[in-house]
Amino acid sequence: MSAKIDPILLSVYARTFKSITDEMSISMEQTTRSPILCEAKDYVTGLYDGEGNMLEQTENLPILAFSLAPVCKYIRQYFGDDLHPGDVIFHNDVFSLGNQNNDVAVYKPIFHGGQLVAWTAVKGHQADIGGNVRGGYNPNAVEVWQEALRIPPVKVVEKGKLRKDVWNLIFANIRLDIVQHDMKAEMGACTVGERRLLELLDKYGLESYEAHKQALFEATRKMMEAEIAKIPNGKYSGEGYIYYDGRHEGSKFTIRVDIEVKDKHIKFDYSRTDAQTNGFVNGTFTSSASATILTLLQMVNPDIPHNEGMVQPIEIVIPEGTVLNAAYPKATTFGNHLCPPNADAIQRALSAVMPDRVTAGWNNLLCSLTTGTDPERAEQYVDIGFMGLKGGSGAMLGMDGYDHIGMIDASGGVLDQDYEMFEQQTPHRLLKHELLADSAGAGEWRGGLGVETIFEIGSEDTQLVTFGDGDFEPAFGLFGGKDAGLNFIRLHYPDGSTVVPKNKDLITGVPKGTVYHQVASGGGGYGDPKKRDRKVLAEEIRNGVISKEAAMRDYGMSETELQ
Amino acid sequence: MALKIGIDVGGTFTDFVVTRDGEEPAIFKSLSTPSDPSIAVVNGLTDIAAAQNPPMSLEAFAPTIDTIVHGTTVTTNATLTHTGAKSALLTTEGVRDALEMRRGIREEQYNNRYANVKPLVPRYLRAGIKGRLDRAGREVAPLDLAQVREAIALFKQENVSAVSICFMNSFANPAHEQAAAEIVKKEMPGAYLSVSTDLLPSIRFYERISTTALNSYVGPKLNHYLDQLVGRLKGIGFKGLLLIMQSNGGVISPQLAREKAALTLLSGPAGGPGAGLFYVRPHGQDKCITTDMGGTSFEASVAVGSPMIKNDGEIARHKIALPMLDIHTIGAGGGSIGWLDEGGLLRMGPQSAGADPGPACYGKGGTLPATTDANVVLGYLDPNYFAGGRMKLDVAAARQAIETHIAKPMGLSIEEAAAGMYRVACNNMAQGVREVTIKRGFDPREFPFIPAGGAGPIHSCLICEELEIPFQIVPRESSVLCAFGMLMSELKHDFVRTFVARLEAIDWPRLTKMLDEMSAEGTRQLTEERIPEARRRHDIKFDCRYIKQYHEVSFLVPRALIDKRDVAAIARLFHDEHNRLYGYSLEQENAPIEVINVRVQSVGITDKPSYREEDWAGADAEKAIKGRRNVYIPETKTFREVPVYDGHRMRHGNRIEGPAMIEQETTAIFVSDSFDCVVDALGSFALFRKGREDLCRSGFSPTTATEPSTVSG
Repeated sequence: MSAKIDPILLSVYARTFKSITDEMSISMEQTTRSPILCEAKDYVTGLYDGEGNMLEQTENLPILAFSLAPVCKYIRQYFGDDLHPGDVIFHNDVFSLGNQNNDVAVYKPIFHGGQLVAWTAVKGHQADIGGNVRGGYNPNAVEVWQEALRIPPVKVVEKGKLRKDVWNLIFANIRLDIVQHDMKAEMGACTVGERRLLELLDKYGLESYEAHKQALFEATRKMMEAEIAKIPNGKYSGEGYIYYDGRHEGSKFTIRVDIEVKDKHIKFDYSRTDAQTNGFVNGTFTSSASATILTLLQMVNPDIPHNEGMVQPIEIVIPEGTVLNAAYPKATTFGNHLCPPNADAIQRALSAVMPDRVTAGWNNLLCSLTTGTDPERAEQYVDIGFMGLKGGSGAMLGMDGYDHIGMIDASGGVLDQDYEMFEQQTPHRLLKHELLADSAGAGEWRGGLGVETIFEIGSEDTQLVTFGDGDFEPAFGLFGGKDAGLNFIRLHYPDGSTVVPKNKDLITGVPKGTVYHQVASGGGGYGDPKKRDRKVLAEEIRNGVISKEAAMRDYGMSETELQ
Repeated sequence: MALKIGIDVGGTFTDFVVTRDGEEPAIFKSLSTPSDPSIAVVNGLTDIAAAQNPPMSLEAFAPTIDTIVHGTTVTTNATLTHTGAKSALLTTEGVRDALEMRRGIREEQYNNRYANVKPLVPRYLRAGIKGRLDRAGREVAPLDLAQVREAIALFKQENVSAVSICFMNSFANPAHEQAAAEIVKKEMPGAYLSVSTDLLPSIRFYERISTTALNSYVGPKLNHYLDQLVGRLKGIGFKGLLLIMQSNGGVISPQLAREKAALTLLSGPAGGPGAGLFYVRPHGQDKCITTDMGGTSFEASVAVGSPMIKNDGEIARHKIALPMLDIHTIGAGGGSIGWLDEGGLLRMGPQSAGADPGPACYGKGGTLPATTDANVVLGYLDPNYFAGGRMKLDVAAARQAIETHIAKPMGLSIEEAAAGMYRVACNNMAQGVREVTIKRGFDPREFPFIPAGGAGPIHSCLICEELEIPFQIVPRESSVLCAFGMLMSELKHDFVRTFVARLEAIDWPRLTKMLDEMSAEGTRQLTEERIPEARRRHDIKFDCRYIKQYHEVSFLVPRALIDKRDVAAIARLFHDEHNRLYGYSLEQENAPIEVINVRVQSVGITDKPSYREEDWAGADAEKAIKGRRNVYIPETKTFREVPVYDGHRMRHGNRIEGPAMIEQETTAIFVSDSFDCVVDALGSFALFRKGREDLCRSGFSPTTATEPSTVSG
């Protein structure tokens, strides 16, 4: 490691790593077929060194991204010397550091001069992964086998040759053909990244790459340490709550985080968190640790590069057997969606010492998925209701929350369906999708507004799966800011009856003509609402996002001010 | 002796290119006048008149101009600075917030201080109207005309100057929009009106409503500006043809530009890519990468036969789905400021010193180090010959800025720091070029590289080094390339209809009828623009995808294949284009193909300036040497004394070896140690990697076997 560090070349490496993972991401967006990948961008791409240390990531959905590096290190150990140019490895197994069964990753080792020098990896949410329920969300599951096909590290391509037997074994256990196409797209994106990295290595040589990579980790670690050093030393604790495990009515679970800041080091200890559930509402270590990292990242300089140096100063302790780290062979499909309450716990813990960096509570995810047969076209459809689930973000000091952004684990990286495409691809007809007045928590800075979604279901015998939370506890306000409203999903049947699904539920036989009504509410407010800028408030009343009643009740506007 | 003038209004300068058949083009620049840009246009024309031999008065000169082609940033600036019209929106009840919510995106995921953009229409002026069409355009509920009138009453009371109409599923049936439009026209005769199905009758609600609202937002401003411009030109006696540059690389009459103002949102830079094609032709090429480096931004685009088009553009975070040139812009230019991030890494831009105070070397009070400052320290800019000597550069200030902010904190010498800034800036621009090449499935190494903008050719050798591009062409007009390109542009009118069908089950009579309607509308507009039939062309494109894919691929379909109903041949065209873009096709798997939209572009061929090729003057460039100076050589990381050539004295055939500098009044070219240069038949400086003389088909001998020189596309 004697190569001299050229500070200019260092910038070139950093910029090029970023452009490599971006290019891999574009390749995924343009070639995948499942709407959850190409439309909602529920996938991530990454570049890792020979040992599996993160060089750079493109994180459309950050909750997936931070599990790539741990698995990469695991795979490196798992195969040891048995890694060769042309190998391609699949992995999804949550009990070897995967984050969610449906998030299936491809890893490709990269060799230069016969030496393993790097990895490219892509992970995307696949439309199906076997198990009992199409699409993977099975609220009745208690063990992993009821949820999914487990894929521990397996070579589907060895030394450039496709292992047809392995390929067929895997896809014989998955319902939809498009998953094969989309896994090919993941492999293609890994190859795109590999080519670019090899160009870089050919140009500057291995010695330079190794030395500069280390220097980059160092520089990034220093940036992260500088950010942590801004937080006063001490111990801070907070809680977040999970309502209902999908099986036991009235159940509630608490996430407890103890954060210890010591100079340039930060430790998140979840040891006091409640025990795991006997349902599918359980985290995996990597999904929970990703949630921790992405929440912290929103409180620091957004320009810090995402590489191994960034995570080095962060220590995360999550004992096995807690609701954030289920023990084998528990069901875990809901695990990614424990990010919102986990983020709540962290925001609450740090609010006292970082009042200028934390946000009030974000609207929690409540999502539905409808499947059925389009009567006019005699075609099956599957629709994940992205537009309905996106509520508001929490306000922060000096900044209102973001309207209709959605869950914190995507932070605006996942998009609504286009309305007209929605009506082409499902038999449903959209009646309303608008910002919901008064849904945001009041405050000197208000929370982001939530949305109201109403559509008429256009197929007979429709199946509806719900998964999420936020219908028991609203997004919380901070420093005098008010809480926001609650989420709900309601089904108004043509016969006049109303069904309110539980927040993790499977409803079958929904008839045509049923009106689906959903509210994803707002984010929490920050600071005393009475101090809100009156000019801004007047504008909001005029625009109908805050009612006159709420202006008087929550913001203390007088009758005369209202004139 | 047709006299044509291309005029490109920029932020600092308004560029003019004057062409007469058989003469070398002349370049003029006048200072822009942002409050009324047409003043700068007249000022420039006055200068041009005075520069005629013998000098002429403006009034005598103006009637002799045959054609003016004009690119304007009026609409771009109104959008970027949020100073467009107060406009209102009629849309379907229940979806009035689509425009503001933008499908729920936040572009910076980790940045909780990143606010949403201000909507183009405030919420209280967005009226949701009862009435509904289903996905096939069948009426589910009639339009509530009383509600339309009520909304209009509010709009009038609020002194709204523009109204947009966009209803759900109108792409399949425009009846409701037309009914609402009739009422608006009657009740608000003075208002600027945009109807979504007139602008863009294609599926995707958010794209359509955003495009329509943008049109209303910029329409009144553009109209006002065109009033001023047309008035002034009339006032000085101009009687020729005035054409306006559109974002799609074509030109359009001022009347159509008024109606569809959003077509001009990328008017300024749209001349560049077409101009690039003109300059590569002597070398037997029909493709190129054109780049333009200005003060704050760097633009890159690709042309293959014709400039690349995209249908999903964005301006100031608003979607615009009208066809526009695929021009990628990044924040890198002469004014880009160098800085160290918290980890001590050197970064360049996107913050820019702009024109005022500008880089430290401008001596206007700037103290932060910019790209131009590095160029001065590295010897690429002669401090006494900047802008032809009209502006002296302050070397000491440049050195001071770099020392304080870069060199000292990094422990480098000033020269090392400047070299670092230069290199990082070039790396940034190279990444920008990757966006329009590799991202679109093109290998940049196969393309000639055209660097435009005053500072572009200083950086192009290193950019090409990064991308392994072996061949560059620097036109003599490179500092005003866009204005020049405008003179090369055709009249272009784009039409689109949504037509959802499986390729193998197309309703051919219905498709043909749709295509004929669009072509007829194109014919009507071209007739109004006085284009005779022999010079009209209607190009057809399909937007297709494999069944269940979400993104369509747009590709040209010859009319003959449609008339023969040759599904197999059309499918083959789609498979090939998909394979080129994304590296695979599903032809083997026999995956069904779906048509989503059909498009027609009606093209009217304009008269181009004919261009005289220079006589061959031999290889010897010795007499063009005007001096020698020390410049930085990136290949060896050392300074070396190199010859400085006067570009104005170099002639067709002159050959020089790198490293060397070539200077013109408005451009400096750095030929690095890896490149040599020869002047081609059009007078362009062709830079080729040492040993790759084979790339130049023009320059080494008097005879060149090429077509003379107009661009179609």
